Amino acid sequence: MSKTPMKLLAEWTYEPAKIHRGYSRETLYVGLGNKDGNYKFEKRPVSDDMIEKFTGGRGFGLRLLWNAVTEKTKWNDPENEIVIAGGPFCGITQYPGAGKCYSVFLSPATKQTYNSNAGGYFAPFLKFSGFDAMELQGKADRPVVIFIDGDNYKVQIFESNLPDINAYAVSEDLHEYFAKDEADKRTISVVSTGIGARTSYWAGMNFSFYDVRRKVVRLKQAGRGGGGTVLYDKGVVAIVVKRTHFTGLENDPADIKTIQRCGTSLHKRIHDLDDKQCLMRSAGTAHLTEIMDAYKLLPVHNYKFGCHKDIENISSRSYIKLFTQGMADGCWYGCSLACAKGVDHFRLATGPWKGREVTVDGPEYETAAGLGSNLGIFDPLWTIEANFYADHYGLDTISLGTGMAFVCECYELGLINKENTHGLDLNFGNKDDIMELLHRIAHGTDEFAIACGHGVEEARVYFSEHYGADLATMKKIGMVCQGLEASEYRCQESIAQWGGYFLTLKGPQHDEAWLIFMDMVNKQLPTYADKAEALFFFPNFRLWFSLQGLCKLPWNDIEPADNGVRYKGLEAARVPEHLQNYLDIFEAITGKHLTREGMIEQSEKVYNFERIFNLRMGRGTAKYHDAPDRGLGPVWEDEWLARPDYFDGKLKEFGENIEGLSVKEKIALLQKHRRKQWEELKLAVYKRRGWNKNGIPTLATVKRLGIDYPDVVELLKKNLKPEDEFVD
Amino acid sequence: MKIIHYNAEKCVECGACMEACSAAYFKENSPELSRIRILNNTGFVSANVCSQCGACMAVCPTQALERDANGVVQVRKDKCTSCLMCVGYCPAASMFFNGDKQTEPFKCIACGICARKCPTGALELINVPAKA
Amino acid sequence: MITVNGEQMEWEEGLTVQRLLEQKKYNFRMIAVWVNDEVVLKRLYSEAKIPDGAVVQVIHNISGG
Repeated sequence: MSKTPMKLLAEWTYEPAKIHRGYSRETLYVGLGNKDGNYKFEKRPVSDDMIEKFTGGRGFGLRLLWNAVTEKTKWNDPENEIVIAGGPFCGITQYPGAGKCYSVFLSPATKQTYNSNAGGYFAPFLKFSGFDAMELQGKADRPVVIFIDGDNYKVQIFESNLPDINAYAVSEDLHEYFAKDEADKRTISVVSTGIGARTSYWAGMNFSFYDVRRKVVRLKQAGRGGGGTVLYDKGVVAIVVKRTHFTGLENDPADIKTIQRCGTSLHKRIHDLDDKQCLMRSAGTAHLTEIMDAYKLLPVHNYKFGCHKDIENISSRSYIKLFTQGMADGCWYGCSLACAKGVDHFRLATGPWKGREVTVDGPEYETAAGLGSNLGIFDPLWTIEANFYADHYGLDTISLGTGMAFVCECYELGLINKENTHGLDLNFGNKDDIMELLHRIAHGTDEFAIACGHGVEEARVYFSEHYGADLATMKKIGMVCQGLEASEYRCQESIAQWGGYFLTLKGPQHDEAWLIFMDMVNKQLPTYADKAEALFFFPNFRLWFSLQGLCKLPWNDIEPADNGVRYKGLEAARVPEHLQNYLDIFEAITGKHLTREGMIEQSEKVYNFERIFNLRMGRGTAKYHDAPDRGLGPVWEDEWLARPDYFDGKLKEFGENIEGLSVKEKIALLQKHRRKQWEELKLAVYKRRGWNKNGIPTLATVKRLGIDYPDVVELLKKNLKPEDEFVD
Repeated sequence: MKIIHYNAEKCVECGACMEACSAAYFKENSPELSRIRILNNTGFVSANVCSQCGACMAVCPTQALERDANGVVQVRKDKCTSCLMCVGYCPAASMFFNGDKQTEPFKCIACGICARKCPTGALELINVPAKA
Repeated sequence: MITVNGEQMEWEEGLTVQRLLEQKKYNFRMIAVWVNDEVVLKRLYSEAKIPDGAVVQVIHNISGG
């Protein structure tokens, strides 16, 4: 892009707050008006109550969004907001994984609150510019670029003159536009989406950082839940933040030495052990593909099967050869885990940039499985191409992968045909046509592609109404819950992971709990009470990262060499040394002592508040915690026949005499038993979480957590019914 | 390229090198602030001092570690974000830090102050063939 | 008979930890093995014998996504 100046539409200067002990205690509000050019800027104070109850990050996002919307607000109403917030850890450079931010919004896909996290430099720069969070509300009357100038303490809104709204184009253009020179490019971070956001609910937001070695813009995705769709709906092409100077003390911690001690010990551990443990530095999360295959957890053909003969093609060994090695690959300063892998000099074979050489971020495990095995495609080059375009178009690779896998199965079952797909032959493994579908979904080329891009829940209704496809069948096989497509693990053989996916706040991602090995292989959770305890502890523990501005990976994708033999049972899974680091650093930043119990309580406040928020939006009850049959067991004969002895054995464990039963009858019987287990799990989990039988937090719970605000209590009183109470 | 060469047989563990180094760079006499550390935990004396191998340069996210004209690895404070990854990734643990004084790491820059103060000639500033 | 991760399994004379891991196809890198509540170090897997009736726990310390 030439540096043709963009037209300035509005400008506001501010006096920046000084960061003290991890907080600037001010947030930025940007109002875009209601397509009337009525721009509004404000600094808003952060109260003690907000810090005490909501901590930061996702907590701040939920609190601010709650204040901004009503129970009637829809995702595309002007009052919906995108709130982006880091947290008290966000921006420290001395401990790996401290550059994350959370984006909170009402989601087009899930019709309730969603929050999605990303790395990149945006959140630290926003904080260094003086803001613990930014709220974006309203709708612009034309495509705009919002520029937060943290050097000169100005916020400007420009009329976008960017010719291409896709993520790499926008990000490259804006790094160029706002940087004085090459060296200045790393002082900028851009949030953007892509063309997919026009019609698809799968559009996420890309957060950029500049890679000084490769001399390219890299993107990290807050991919899930449709945040990009909301951004586009607001008329925002990009949000840019610039902050040139900052020091290792920018966060003004109470005790830098403790942070340094924890950080250097972890850097050393990663240096010494990563090659023996998770290979984050060489393979990133893609190291998981062959492990998942070995334990029959890799999703193959829309989660029908758990392994595949061609696994070696997409193993970490294959990806390591494609990833550029030996580069600093952290997505914020100080992350020595450096999982942000890149494929350099990749020549695109399809689409609008066909023939162009690009650097592709990833693929991560989720993409290698979702845009790979789950579609029956075992070709890493295809996956890398799909990964590039998904990011470029702003599409979430996970929903896209799971969604297209569902569509492929519908096609193979004859529920939809070639006429419906406008000529695409969507059998599993049909690379060319599936790639074409990806491009069509992004561009909203036809009504079929648009329906697909609205996600499995809406697509199956469309297929049924317009193509006569059987809705009941599609409900069995679509791996979706609460409007969100499942991430890329096969959970059917782990009862605890049913909960990890389907008893969550925002749908079947796995950022709450990943219990498959603990439950299915290690057998550490034998009873419902054990499973419920894990489904209480881990979701709350993992949520804590989202309050602080932290990445989860440096917690347990590296561990002390003796962690597994020094600690037994679930304690080992908590990685006690690293957990202690977080408590120590929290105190070293904020000056406030924190215990393990206090940590869980911090999370519980937000966990329950989010649940209640979803209740407020007309969801958040037991009926929305619904698991599809495919999530609980085999649906078709070929799935059973892939492991007949195993499944026969499972039926025998229920005391069934299976003599003479057909496979179809066996499937029905197993599903019946598992459905019953699912209901038992659900109740055990609700009870442990302090909710009623309808999945609603009780008054006692909100009182204990101090989130018994009048409007919360009023809402609960309206929805809590005596017949739903647990009787001890 | 310039490096500090250490000959253990000549060392009398007097600490003059550490005193001179910390005084030169931090205006204070403290082994904890020295860029060279004479250690004796086992009855055998050794020195921990940067060999200018450059392993730290590869992990620095901002390219704040650079080789100067003498082949010496220097920390460019204006580019450094104080992440201390270089500390964890130094194969010889010769990159030091002290949050009381500054957030950036510090290391031997082969200035030779310690060698000049060494009463026995155990430390020498020498030239060795440059690393690639 | 021995118990491995809560499930019964045939015992054989001279069964080592190494052999057991192979039989169960437990090939993950980060595994901790406990035999009758005693941890077995990785370097001893090929010689550590599992006695009949033992309760064995093979813990996969996998972080997941």
